[in-house]
Amino acid sequence: MTDILTLVFRTLSSQTGQNKDPSAVPPPPAPRSNTLVVGEHRLSRSVLLLAAVTAASELGVRVAFFAQTQIQSLPECLQRCSKITFSYPRTLEELLQQVASLHEFPCPPSLIIIDRLDGFLRGAVASSHVGFHSGDESRAAHLAALLCDTAAFLTEILEKRGSSSAPCRAIASFLSDADSGQESRDPSATDSILDVLDRYFQARCTLDQDRSYEAAAAAAQEAWHVYLSGAKILDDLEDGPTLAQEWKLFIFPEGLMEFKLV
Amino acid sequence: MRTFLPAVAEQLFRDIQKIYEETTQTLTLPSSRLRRLKFVFGTCALQALDLVDQRSVTCLSSPSGRKAFQVIGGSGRLYTCFLSCHYCPCPAFTYTVLRRNQGLLCKHILAVYLCQAMAVTQQESVSDQQMSAVLSGTGGP
Repeated sequence: MTDILTLVFRTLSSQTGQNKDPSAVPPPPAPRSNTLVVGEHRLSRSVLLLAAVTAASELGVRVAFFAQTQIQSLPECLQRCSKITFSYPRTLEELLQQVASLHEFPCPPSLIIIDRLDGFLRGAVASSHVGFHSGDESRAAHLAALLCDTAAFLTEILEKRGSSSAPCRAIASFLSDADSGQESRDPSATDSILDVLDRYFQARCTLDQDRSYEAAAAAAQEAWHVYLSGAKILDDLEDGPTLAQEWKLFIFPEGLMEFKLV
Repeated sequence: MRTFLPAVAEQLFRDIQKIYEETTQTLTLPSSRLRRLKFVFGTCALQALDLVDQRSVTCLSSPSGRKAFQVIGGSGRLYTCFLSCHYCPCPAFTYTVLRRNQGLLCKHILAVYLCQAMAVTQQESVSDQQMSAVLSGTGGP
């Protein structure tokens, strides 16, 4: 999945910047790992949608996108895109059933996206702020392991068919209580959930807003740091170098997004 | 099962598998391998071997090719484990592995590895819909 994210960032990087600079060093190839996107939801959802669109249009792969709340402002072109399937399970149980049944479909997805894992794991919809409880570790592990196992199985199927869509990857977003500004009854519970998820997601994409004057200096509305970390760059090397990429994201008033490799 | 195990554990399972492939009789595990098993996995090693003796591990497979393992625990409860990564719904996995990070796996997952190495996994076929129910934890055979 980090390979798809890197493709998203490169596709949306400045045309006047590094792409025209012959001495600019391209980022190293990113591994095809399952990725957890952590950070503010408004941006993480946009990143997930960009990943879905990029995967469907640039790579031509099928995408299964799961979210608990309907995406209200989905562009018409996305609604008509036959390669992306949007599903809105209301509960964790429904999500588990839908992910578990992906193997039943004749044309499996190559990318599984889940928006707001935390919402499903809290066991409530939208406005409840009950926070995490210690018993949620097993639920988090079940969902993450099912995603991992499903992606591994669908990869085998795609490879057996000789499909260029292999491997199947998974990406999910997670909003911690700290990022949401909510007080959790048990502050360590969110960290323990993230620790559990880290067991199953090999890479992490962290979104961190830049609150300095950099956005203003770039005539942008917002500036963000985007960190890709965790997975080994070369999957087949046990002691290979790990992924560590930093991008800068500028969001302009008209909604234009521009990524720059740092 | 693709593993998240350290190399020493993977080598141990390969050794056990080789022993059972090379013999035509059912033997008990050599004491040297037993010692290594207890050293690497601690107290759950003997508990897992009990589950192996009781033939408690079944590999479910469905027409789509999807597979999963089911293990009958000591209390008779059924636990579903995955092929490609470590997960078990039992309290020991949640507490010792996930929360305390004090163990690599629980006795049920270890029993799966051992049964696979010793070729004593039961086999069962289920429909695709039943497999989905098993994987999601909403039902099973």
